[in-house]
Amino acid sequence: MTADTLLLEARHVTQRFRLPNGQVLEALRDVSLAVREHEVVALVGPSGCGKSTLLRLFAGLARPADGTVLYRGHTLDGVLGAAAMVFQSFALLPWLTVAQNVAMGLEARGVHGPAQRDAVARAINLVGLDGFEQAYPKELSGGMKQRVGFARALAVAPEILLMDEPFGALDPLTAENLRSQVVDLWRDPATGVNTLVVVTHSVEEAVFLAGRIVVFGSNPGHVREELKNSLPYPRRERSPEFETMVDRLHAILTATLLPEPEALPAPQRLVPFPRVHVAEVAGLLDHLATRPDGRGPVFELAEDLGVDYDRMTAVVRGAEQLGWVATPGEMVQLTPAGRDVLAGDDAARKAATRARLKHHPLFARVITMLQEETEEIEEGAGKADVADEELLADLTIYFPFIPADSLFATIIEWGRYAELLDHDAAAGRLRLLGG
Amino acid sequence: MTKPLRFLLASFQPAPLRRLGLPDVAILCLMGGVIATVVAFLREFEAPLRQAVQIDLRPTALVRYTLYSLTRGVLALLVSYGFALVFGWTAARSRAAERLLLPLLDILQSIPVLGFLPGFVLGLMALFPTRNVGLELAAILMIFTAQAWNLALSFYNSLKSIPEPLRDACRIAGWGPARTFRQCELPAAAQGLVWNGMLSMAGGWFFLMVNEAFRLGDRDYRLPGVGSYMSVALDQGNVSAMVLAIVAMTVMIVCVDQLLWRPLVVWVEKFRLDETTGGDSAASSWVLDFLRRARLPRRVAVFRRRAYRTARRATRSLEGPLRAATPVILRGPRVAFEHPVARRLARALLVAAIAAGAAAGLWQIGRLLGQLGWAEWRQLVSSAALTFFRVMGAVLLATAWALPAGVVIGRSPRLARALQPVIQVVASFPAPMLFPVVVLLFERIGVGLGLGAVALMVLAGQWYVLFNVISAVAAIPEQLKDAATVFRLPTVARWRTLYLPAAFPALVTGWVTAAGGAWNGSIVAEYIEAGGGLRETKGLGSLISEATAHANFPLLAGGIALMSLVVVGWNRVVWRSLMVWAQTRFGYGT
Repeated sequence: MTADTLLLEARHVTQRFRLPNGQVLEALRDVSLAVREHEVVALVGPSGCGKSTLLRLFAGLARPADGTVLYRGHTLDGVLGAAAMVFQSFALLPWLTVAQNVAMGLEARGVHGPAQRDAVARAINLVGLDGFEQAYPKELSGGMKQRVGFARALAVAPEILLMDEPFGALDPLTAENLRSQVVDLWRDPATGVNTLVVVTHSVEEAVFLAGRIVVFGSNPGHVREELKNSLPYPRRERSPEFETMVDRLHAILTATLLPEPEALPAPQRLVPFPRVHVAEVAGLLDHLATRPDGRGPVFELAEDLGVDYDRMTAVVRGAEQLGWVATPGEMVQLTPAGRDVLAGDDAARKAATRARLKHHPLFARVITMLQEETEEIEEGAGKADVADEELLADLTIYFPFIPADSLFATIIEWGRYAELLDHDAAAGRLRLLGG
Repeated sequence: MTKPLRFLLASFQPAPLRRLGLPDVAILCLMGGVIATVVAFLREFEAPLRQAVQIDLRPTALVRYTLYSLTRGVLALLVSYGFALVFGWTAARSRAAERLLLPLLDILQSIPVLGFLPGFVLGLMALFPTRNVGLELAAILMIFTAQAWNLALSFYNSLKSIPEPLRDACRIAGWGPARTFRQCELPAAAQGLVWNGMLSMAGGWFFLMVNEAFRLGDRDYRLPGVGSYMSVALDQGNVSAMVLAIVAMTVMIVCVDQLLWRPLVVWVEKFRLDETTGGDSAASSWVLDFLRRARLPRRVAVFRRRAYRTARRATRSLEGPLRAATPVILRGPRVAFEHPVARRLARALLVAAIAAGAAAGLWQIGRLLGQLGWAEWRQLVSSAALTFFRVMGAVLLATAWALPAGVVIGRSPRLARALQPVIQVVASFPAPMLFPVVVLLFERIGVGLGLGAVALMVLAGQWYVLFNVISAVAAIPEQLKDAATVFRLPTVARWRTLYLPAAFPALVTGWVTAAGGAWNGSIVAEYIEAGGGLRETKGLGSLISEATAHANFPLLAGGIALMSLVVVGWNRVVWRSLMVWAQTRFGYGT
């Protein structure tokens, strides 16, 4: 790490999007991040934390609403020519052959004729796709397609390689193989790539690749913490140093995703209920019951259950809000209330959920809203209902950064399960059940 | 490394190029035929304008007439494609344009374009007073108005559904708008463009007879074509000529389907964006297989490459200065376009131009409508009500046979595969050509035009219902059908709980188009000249036809305006909410 030239820099960047329903979503708020020459930076965090948005800003594919993005000290204007990008969905043109796809970026960089053919051949050779030059993408497996994606990026010998969850759509075996090749490519001076920025969902991947790991928080997206990772390359995933690093990152992510109890909002303040399904929470409790002492670290649970940590923490947060698990540190512990729920039959589970939901600030608010409606039409049949739009409008006001309709769907699902609420989708109305 | 390779190629290449086979001869013949037709047509274009072209009823002349009509249709389709590309691209690119263009398209595709024919004819005639060009252009323009809208909408939708990462990849590769258009957007839209082109071609034939044998007041603007042939045959009551015209039309439609669309549909499969559903695409085209065996294209490609290389070599001395000049030439306008003040100015000018055009149009129409008295308005409204009931009746009747038939065909893949091409050809046949025949038949059994017109309007709209139902039923997930079988649902329950709900959203879509077709059809269905006599029944369609025949422009404008209003209003209020409801209630959702 010598001269430490600043290559890419985001200064106080804010980015907003308008959702189709008119809600404005703030994807990033006041994010500053610098990428130095010959560095591998990993961006991690829960989904919707704006890490992919930042990557697109670095690529010059979008302009920030506020703040600036600089390349070597100059404000970025348009697509950054020094960068190439690898996409999670591969983004190959299905009607072009492998060779034509790889050659996509060459013409604009003034590489024609024999030079172009050489560049394509070299890039295809680098990723080990020789012999597939004339194949069409649909004839290739996922791993092969992503190799084409890498070859396309490498063909232009980019200074910076931006990767948006490059291994996310691949099976674990293929991902592992490709991952170590990426490190080799970066360390190989012949490729010209000297800086990597990778967005990833996997903690192991971040630790395996990156020299610096940036943890994002969500709603709106912001940088929570940076972690330096000076393990020597090539890294071995089973070494104790690697495991220590993974645990440290786990701990940071847990602190980001599952705040400590004292940090929890006061009971009267509204918190959004995570967008998790009833069956997912039940599955978590079932799984915890099979473990000794009914406890386990979040990341181990995620691995055992085969879900990504992002989803896992959402489920844990849901269970925690219902009081069925506690989360000391990165541990998830089944509470006595949780054990009671497990012991009961279906009706008992529903009753327990109902009791809990009635005290959950968000559901309590919804119930109050429906009860007020009942009092207003007391003379009537007593069938109070509220139009969906009313609740949706309220939710938009309470939680401006969360898409209201998915939160609405979650409320309906839990309310129905607990036999608290009934929803008439055809009429678009919500009704209180029982007393 | 390249040397042995080139040597290999050199020894390998000439073998397949040595001889030209039957496919090549076929290609040459076809190309010759196309060139001859175009030349003949251009001569027609240049011919001095004559009142009431004499139509030759001999069968030998019919071949030429059919080719003339075909050329008009193809030219109009080319114009439509051009329009669709420009329109779709603009609407997909700019949000402001999108907000203006989409509602405009919605209106354009639902109003009866036939009513604009007199305006087009007179305007273009004024431009070319001595030659046939004006009349020909008017006919092509009319066919265009029946073809363009769904193409434009399809292209727009294709552009909008290109995945974001794919667009990003093109931008990262440094592709400019032109390259992105050619290599990303156009291929992504290819399938939709071909399928909709097929529909458009069929739709373009609908008013063929009216376009080619157009009468305004006492003037007779007739063009040589299969449509005018039919109309003359009808005037003279020449049954064998009528049959010949219908046969010629059918042969033409089958030929276009087999020689143009089938190969295109199969070829365009390779531009599919989603890879998931490619397994059952057993579509094949004997023409494409035949042509793929041809060696001529490869030989032409070699020639072209050689010619290109020679040209490059010849112009090499010019390349240096050109390269120095291009940045200035290309960047100059680009800078001007991207300058904020210039852009704002351009936008303001554009808005002003559009506003001025709209205002002028409104003023013109307002002036025409101002000449209509109360009595005429009353007449317009009562005829509109009458035609409205006929349209609804036609939609009901079309549903009554097409819904069950569509379900039966759609649930059996074998039946669908066997019947689809046949139905496609039958549906392409312009129903108005059959109207006089049907009316004469009705007269035999004593049904008047008041009711007969409903049957004619069924002819004009039924296929949309049938096609939509077939495709919806064919798209029912296999597992749902399996479930119905496993639980031994009785036939009635199976229809009630599975087939009809699954077909319903598509049925509504079919209704919208069928009603549109019926409204359009009313213009020719309520006012028919057959067997030397005129038959008409009260209705908005006959009012429009009559106003055209008597060159009564205020009444014509009123009729068109009223029909547009009813159709657009009904679309907006009834069909759209029905569609939304059908989608949420019976759609598969996610």
